[in-house]
Amino acid sequence: MTNGRRMVRLTIDGTSLEVPEGTLLVEAAKSIGVHIPVYCYHPKMDPAGLCRICLVEIEKMPKLQIACNTQVAEGMVVHTASSRVAEGRRGVLEFLLLNHPLDCPICDKGGECDLQDFTLTYGPGASRLTEPKLHKPKAVDLGPTIVLDEERCILCRRCTRFDNEITHERRLIVVERGHRSLIGTADGKPYTSYFSGNTTEICPVGALTSKAYRFRSRPWDLSHADSVCTQCSVGCNYRIDSRFGRIMRTYTRENPAVDDGWICDRGRYTFNYLYEPSRLRQPLIAVDGELKAATFDEAIALTAEKLGRAAQARRVGIIGGGRLSDEEAFALQLLARDVLGSDNIDYRASAQKYASPPRYEARLADIDDASLILIFGAVTPEQAPIADLRIRRAVARRHARLLFVGPFVPPAFVPSRHVPYAPGEIAPLMRALADVVHHGREEQGEGFVAEIAQALAQAEKIIAIHNGRDPQAVEALDALLDRLAQYDHPVGVLVVGAAGNARGAEAAGCVPNLGPGYAPLGRTGMTTARMLDAAARGEIDALFIAGANPALTFPDGALVRRALERVEFLAVSEQVMTETAAYADVVFAAASFAEKSGHVTNLEGRQQPFHQAVEPPVQVATDAQILAALAHALGKPWVISAEPAVLFSQLEKMQRPARTRSSRDPLPRPCVDDPVPVPDPASWPDGLTVIPIPHLYAGGGAAAHDPGLAPMRPQPFAVFHPQDAQQRGVADGTRVRLRGPGGEIEVQARTGDHVPPGSVLVLADMPEAPVNKLTNASGYGVACVDAATVTASQELSA
Amino acid sequence: MAPFEPVLTRGLGRLDLTDLSVYEAQGGFGALRKALRDMTPEAVVNEVSASNLRGRGGAGFPTGRKWSFLPNDGRPRYLVCNCDEAEPGTFKDHMLLEQTPFQIIEGLVISAYAIRAERAFMYIRGEFLEGYRIFRRALETARERGYVGPRIAGSDFSLDIVVHRGAGAYICGEETAMLESIEGKRGEPRLKPPFPANAGLYGMPTVVNNVETLCCVPHIVERGAQWFSSIGPPKCPGPKIISVSGHVRKPGNYEVPMGIPAGQLIEEYAGGLEPGRRLKAIQPGGGSSAAIFEEDLDTGLDFDSLAAKGTMLGSGGFVVMDDRTCLVRAALTLVRFFEHESCGQCTPCREGGQWVARMVGRLEAGEGSNADLAILRTLNRTLTGTNLCPLGDSIMPFLSSVLRRFPEEFETHVTQAGCPLAAEQAVAAGAGA
Ligand SMILES: Cc1cc2nc3c(=O)[nH]c(=O)nc-3n(C[C@H](O)[C@H](O)[C@H](O)COP(=O)(O)O)c2cc1C
Ligand code: SF4
Ligand code: SF4
Ligand code: SF4
Ligand code: FES
Repeated sequence: MTNGRRMVRLTIDGTSLEVPEGTLLVEAAKSIGVHIPVYCYHPKMDPAGLCRICLVEIEKMPKLQIACNTQVAEGMVVHTASSRVAEGRRGVLEFLLLNHPLDCPICDKGGECDLQDFTLTYGPGASRLTEPKLHKPKAVDLGPTIVLDEERCILCRRCTRFDNEITHERRLIVVERGHRSLIGTADGKPYTSYFSGNTTEICPVGALTSKAYRFRSRPWDLSHADSVCTQCSVGCNYRIDSRFGRIMRTYTRENPAVDDGWICDRGRYTFNYLYEPSRLRQPLIAVDGELKAATFDEAIALTAEKLGRAAQARRVGIIGGGRLSDEEAFALQLLARDVLGSDNIDYRASAQKYASPPRYEARLADIDDASLILIFGAVTPEQAPIADLRIRRAVARRHARLLFVGPFVPPAFVPSRHVPYAPGEIAPLMRALADVVHHGREEQGEGFVAEIAQALAQAEKIIAIHNGRDPQAVEALDALLDRLAQYDHPVGVLVVGAAGNARGAEAAGCVPNLGPGYAPLGRTGMTTARMLDAAARGEIDALFIAGANPALTFPDGALVRRALERVEFLAVSEQVMTETAAYADVVFAAASFAEKSGHVTNLEGRQQPFHQAVEPPVQVATDAQILAALAHALGKPWVISAEPAVLFSQLEKMQRPARTRSSRDPLPRPCVDDPVPVPDPASWPDGLTVIPIPHLYAGGGAAAHDPGLAPMRPQPFAVFHPQDAQQRGVADGTRVRLRGPGGEIEVQARTGDHVPPGSVLVLADMPEAPVNKLTNASGYGVACVDAATVTASQELSA
Repeated sequence: MAPFEPVLTRGLGRLDLTDLSVYEAQGGFGALRKALRDMTPEAVVNEVSASNLRGRGGAGFPTGRKWSFLPNDGRPRYLVCNCDEAEPGTFKDHMLLEQTPFQIIEGLVISAYAIRAERAFMYIRGEFLEGYRIFRRALETARERGYVGPRIAGSDFSLDIVVHRGAGAYICGEETAMLESIEGKRGEPRLKPPFPANAGLYGMPTVVNNVETLCCVPHIVERGAQWFSSIGPPKCPGPKIISVSGHVRKPGNYEVPMGIPAGQLIEEYAGGLEPGRRLKAIQPGGGSSAAIFEEDLDTGLDFDSLAAKGTMLGSGGFVVMDDRTCLVRAALTLVRFFEHESCGQCTPCREGGQWVARMVGRLEAGEGSNADLAILRTLNRTLTGTNLCPLGDSIMPFLSSVLRRFPEEFETHVTQAGCPLAAEQAVAAGAGA
């Protein structure tokens, strides 16, 4: 028995084997190295039995059977290479090639195409078809990312099934019938899935190609490097394929525990910014208020001098780490603590406060068998897309319940329940839940409390997912989970990071009160907010910001801008010119993840290695090199190595205790600022509560500069409740100006009843319209619609 | 042996059985009362099993056995009546629908009771608009009289019947494609397993039965399994409606005892061939069946006897072709039909069907070659038996059977670059002038 499944003995091509009952023949054969060709079958999807290439002969059965939907049976005798099987396969290949355009020489898939490969191995020697081929549309534009060649398509439907069974989005469909069948989109709308790129990989032929990679390379010319995506905190494993030192594409590299073999389009397509003119290719130094090219040594010398001087006066601060590797985040806090002698170091450049759950750490795979998934704050389809696929699967295929608690109804592709709670009310809710659960009075809770409490009490396994923004809610959740755990409910927590390596930075010590490995220091430096505040008041003289863009992402935008304008010296390390770098006195041109090696830690705390794929431009340095050079220039060359391997061995030692601690010991928590209340909409004339919402393609760094993402990138927008919109004379599609106490932004208006009345959802992290002009440190804000803009722009759009 | 009396078509043509009182006066709904009052569901299943009733939709699967496959796991169960009748040459369900709708309703209710279904679905071919209207009206009447709806005929059994119209696809007659269609999806056969008995409509245990199958059920309940199984061959007994068309003098639907020899059906029921004509080929079981010929006229029309001849009774669409028929042309009509109706899911049916249609089209147009014939002779090996559903496997049987029996007719199409019969007939017409 394996996993409680009975074993079944059968014979395949004369080899006797034993596999668990329920195993499909195709998998059983694979386990003993017998290859059965497949097109429609894909291990991640339900068998479909469409292409018929997998025909095998089973003794005592009159007809050939498909190996992809036949389960093993005791005593079954299977032949996969008999002449009947060969004839069947040849027949299927002959049918498939009848109208195939045979444009392999110019096909992207050439060299990694299953039609080419199987035809070579099993196919007919020559085509018996004498008449001209039937034609179908070529180069069909399916949407912003994908081009389809209907003639190459063998209608295996992996793409439509992926879109249905894996993403549950149901955008790709088969149109027409019989041999006229075509792959198309529902209602002819563009195929805009966040997961579209995966279809180019699972397409067994060259029918689906990505615009990013079309006609760019041949597979055999590519060099491969195993890497990890850092565009969000899921940390999907992927491969970077490059040719002559330039990245051509990225490709899945299945890690069942993390990505299950998929990557999202943000991860897949964010690399062409590296080849744009806006990529920083050498350090810059501000001369008379204007950034001018400089040498690395000049930049280091100037920065070291300024930081050193400020440090002596205890007026220095360091922000960043969430977008560095673990090694570099570690080096960054070494710079602060061991070189500059300051605990003013903080990776938290956005509203996120925590990246690690103190207890009940869940793994992504825990979602798979959860019976209740409770989400607040995080918008997983936008912020953790590949994790969201697991959630979709748990709900759609394994009957998990999905419960959103929060101010607006988030996008969902599977059945879910939204429980409306205003910002700031989540913590009291969690406390009330803990109370009724503790006393076993689930049905007595008030309002939604009873509903949620009963769902919690009934659940066999609970996974809570949040964004680590609301310390009080997180505290109360921990108490609630404690109660549930007492009653033997397996519980777990995942914190979706605002930056790809937020958790790695937290674990590497980029917080004011904790060293590497969450080691409490017994003292604390300044948080980001306090550093900015001090800088704005002239109490900090020099700031070093590495791989962070607080000017766009920090919720109190007015404070950031004041701080960055006022601070005497600002050095920024970046790959592209960001809103933050625009204020800098020194800008370091930093290497990207593809241009270096190291480790990153994903939202579940999994530390994963990544390997350099290409060389950075000559004058571009890794952050480790920059930090080592600064330590050197500051007279402490022994503190920071430029070598990731050296840094890693130091870091690993310091992280070991936290890793091996008992699961009951809570992790020490990063210090947080005193809570700032959500602004009262009544405090502003005609005020609406501003709720920032995330978007996969938002952001000011790579995403804003990548031409590959440009077609998918949204225009800044705000969504009003229809009633509020009507009252203010705002129609869908008009441009409006939102004005708050701290500033104003111009956005496109939309309406939707997923918005609570009295609030407005505003797309976050858009450089063209930074929502942090409207929000305060609570992460929320207040704004009204500038009446003048409404009428004026309506005329324009009419 | 007593002469055969029509069972399913009794009174048709004489009485207006769309009138409930007429149907009742003929004994209608007596079986329903009997089943619901005097019989347990198991007793009904047992009676139907004992009758050896085999499905009239095409495959001839034993109905009682099909019913007993449903798992006893407390899930809701559904019964679907297949009235999508689109098999070329078949038009019996159409008649039953328009002329004796209450018999269908009675069969549905009893069968639903037997399998403990709480809801039944009546799937009507889209083109049967008149039949749909008649059935809707009959259903309303039956509901008013308490034969359908809550607590039927005073019993504890309740049943709702949902009427669903097809949208013109032959493939939706295949039972799993029908389930997809009812669910609002693209009508395409599902991969089996799982079978509908386990995961059918909306994933629930489901039975799909043909109209004529269900119409047999009240009579079995009424007159007993023994009576039923004494009609025709014991292994596939009962009355059977055969739709006779083609070159006979009296085409139409004939209810006959199962197992009647093909020749007897033609002579005694369908009025024989036109004078001076000679039989060339018969499709005994709809467009999907291989042909039988002159020498097979004593073959009994039942599932087993025809299977032994390498063909099938199928849906009972009996198409007679006399010596005027160009078999290349006949085959072309059929392969074009299948090419057009293929849902396109699986490779052999989708691509192979289209290829065969092009080759036969070429032959018929006088543009074919010996190479085409050579390919056609091999294609039944890779195109038949390799598909997901029986539609794909139906492309070749008729073509292969006539190509085997009349190879010269096909070869002449190549050598004479066209149809020899057409040429003959033109000459004949010219001579007559
Ligand atoms: C392509 C195709 C078309 C079919 N069309 C019909 C049909 O129109 N009516 C029907 O009763 N059965 C049809 N069938 C058979 C059904 O799949 C199914 O076997 C039948 O409805 C079962 O009913 P029975 O057991 O009462 O015969 C079709 C099968 C195939 C493969
Ligand atoms: S586009 Fe590719 S994946 Fe989709 S059906 Fe065609 S061959 Fe299969
Ligand atoms: S989900 Fe996140 S880590 Fe995974 S590919 Fe997308 S952006 Fe990258
Ligand atoms: S055999 Fe033809 S009709 Fe049946 S599933 Fe395959 S393609 Fe569709
Ligand atoms: S792989 Fe088995 S039918 Fe396609």
